[in-house]
Amino acid sequence: MAGLSIENVTKRFGETEVLKGVSLDIADGEFVSLVGPSGCGKSTLLRIIAGLEDQSSGDIRIGGQSVAGQRAADRNLSMVFQSYALYPHLSVGENIAVPLRMRRLNSLQRLPLVGRLLPGTRAQSRDIGQQVAQAAEMLEIAHLLDRKPGQLSGGQRQRVALGRALVREPAAFLLDEPLSNLDAKLRVQTRAEIAELHRRLAATFVYVTHDQVEAMTMSDRIAVMMGGRILQCAPPDVVYDDPDRIEVAEFIGSPKINILPVEIAEDGRLILMDRPLDLMLHRGGKGIASLGLRPEALRLAGPEAPIHGQVVHRENLGSELFVQIALTGLDQRLTLRVGPEQRSALALGSAVSLDFDRDKALLFDSEGARIRRVVQTASAPSEVA
Amino acid sequence: MAAIDPTAAAKPARAPRRAIRQSRAAWVLTGPALGLMVLLLLAPVSIAAFLSFTNYSLGNSGFDWVGFDNYEKLFTRSTYEKMFLATLTYVVTVVPISVGLGLGAALLINSLGRFRELYKTIYFLPVMATLLAMAIAWEFMLHPSIGMINRTLELGCGTFLERVWPFMAHGCAERFPVWLGDQRYAIWVICFIGIWQGFGFNMVLYLAGLTSVHRELYHAAEMDGARSGWARFWLVTWPALGPTTVFVVTITCIRAFQVFDTIEAFWPQGGGPNKSTYVMMFAIFEKGVQQNLIGIGSAITMLFLLFVMVLTLIQRWLVERKVHY
Repeated sequence: MAGLSIENVTKRFGETEVLKGVSLDIADGEFVSLVGPSGCGKSTLLRIIAGLEDQSSGDIRIGGQSVAGQRAADRNLSMVFQSYALYPHLSVGENIAVPLRMRRLNSLQRLPLVGRLLPGTRAQSRDIGQQVAQAAEMLEIAHLLDRKPGQLSGGQRQRVALGRALVREPAAFLLDEPLSNLDAKLRVQTRAEIAELHRRLAATFVYVTHDQVEAMTMSDRIAVMMGGRILQCAPPDVVYDDPDRIEVAEFIGSPKINILPVEIAEDGRLILMDRPLDLMLHRGGKGIASLGLRPEALRLAGPEAPIHGQVVHRENLGSELFVQIALTGLDQRLTLRVGPEQRSALALGSAVSLDFDRDKALLFDSEGARIRRVVQTASAPSEVA
Repeated sequence: MAAIDPTAAAKPARAPRRAIRQSRAAWVLTGPALGLMVLLLLAPVSIAAFLSFTNYSLGNSGFDWVGFDNYEKLFTRSTYEKMFLATLTYVVTVVPISVGLGLGAALLINSLGRFRELYKTIYFLPVMATLLAMAIAWEFMLHPSIGMINRTLELGCGTFLERVWPFMAHGCAERFPVWLGDQRYAIWVICFIGIWQGFGFNMVLYLAGLTSVHRELYHAAEMDGARSGWARFWLVTWPALGPTTVFVVTITCIRAFQVFDTIEAFWPQGGGPNKSTYVMMFAIFEKGVQQNLIGIGSAITMLFLLFVMVLTLIQRWLVERKVHY
């Protein structure tokens, strides 16, 4: 087990720059997810860590040692592939044994028939067999050891791929979208199992996914990647509650965060749809900004509230209700999350007024960077007047 | 079908008529295919099988039933012993070498970035060329005194090659082989031309097979510690090429059993020096067509069919049991 550190890695494919200087430190035993939309460079970064791809510049360190120029086979990392990449002609047991056989037996000892007669092979094979059995036991696939991958279901194949990765003790595990080929129910189950596996092995995990729910539920830290850069790397709750950039806020969270345009007045006061809010920037400066409001930051309020609209769509999930509201005076919809007890107040077509929690409001400047120097004034100026 | 058909269950009286109509339609639809199969495949084979037990000649009004005489001749006369020897030598030499070369060429071409198409075309050229025409070109090249091959070998006389290679020393001291007239060399020349002509075809089949190998498997093999190309070949490529290999070997075997045109072009009168290249196809042609001995010709044909059939059955068995995962 060891920590990983990625130092200013760039990757160019011809003219296109896929990674634009990525740096990330992953502590020993940490579970870090690389999450981002497709094409953001997360898989490329994982393959560079693995050594399957060379970086254009920058360095990768595993356990403090630079692995520049070291090939994948020598980096002592394990990888689980999106397609599982099981060897179709080998049984489950043989598949799991491959990493051990390749490392412990020389090419003569690996020969069929003849290899068994060479000194040392028998003892090694017995040892390998024991370790395979242990790994299979841990993943509850011991009864499948004699089957071929073609005879397994998607979930079982996924476990075999995990088994092949954890049968030896690598410095770190790299997982490349391992759940994307599973159906929704199995995905939820396997998600929990991988997280539990991580706790049990206390090993370093680097997990690539485009699904923010996976990233949120399993990781110690999430690195949100976009356009070849890591925009923010922080624990899941920090990324959700306190995003650094508007792109991060928009990517993390389902349903998506509501973004409303706000004006900043001369004195620093925020103005939403021509109504001054009781929010103020520390220092003034006229301009435009974006106000991010999570669906749960909004709540129904009386007619004096700052936001007004009409219910246009409802999604009832039983335990909660997502309501889309078309805003009056703005060509935009908001998503609101309410509990089931408020269901009756939100019939289709009804007019509603909304207020929001001031401390959950996220303000971003016109470039998309977070503005954190927002204070709440004692009372709304309209009331003072 | 009728048992699970709800309408049939509801109206039992009409069911039999419906079944008859259905089965009649089935016969009408399969009829043409069945008829053609019997007419074009089963009937000729049956007739050949029947004739192999007679002494029939084309033009004769009648024939005698000779029982297993023809087959007995095949397994007792020395001519046929030579036939089996020549055929077996050819098959055993050409099949492994042309399959191996085909695989090697495919792997090399597959690893190329540029010039792939060029190499593919070059290696595939002999397959497209008419073997009969190519045989004439080979005949010129193999000519003992003015042929390109012996002239090239003569250039090596007087160099160190003479000291390290006994064949060269012997050739320079006396003369280089009469390739097509010497029974020691004739069959090997035929084998060489067979390999030259055939491996490009195997290469194309292997290239097609290689495209189906999942790229992620190579990455998995690398992560699992397969450092050498050799280890990756045995772990990923070779098993993935299993179905292709079975097909290639079978096709090459059948083609090797069928070798005929080069021998007919080089020695139209009788299968090479001392019948050293008297292969089965040529024997069928000589007996059945040139000498009008339909009975014995049919017997060799039946044996030939048997070989091909056994090969095909082995292929089917292998494909179903061993190489499809």
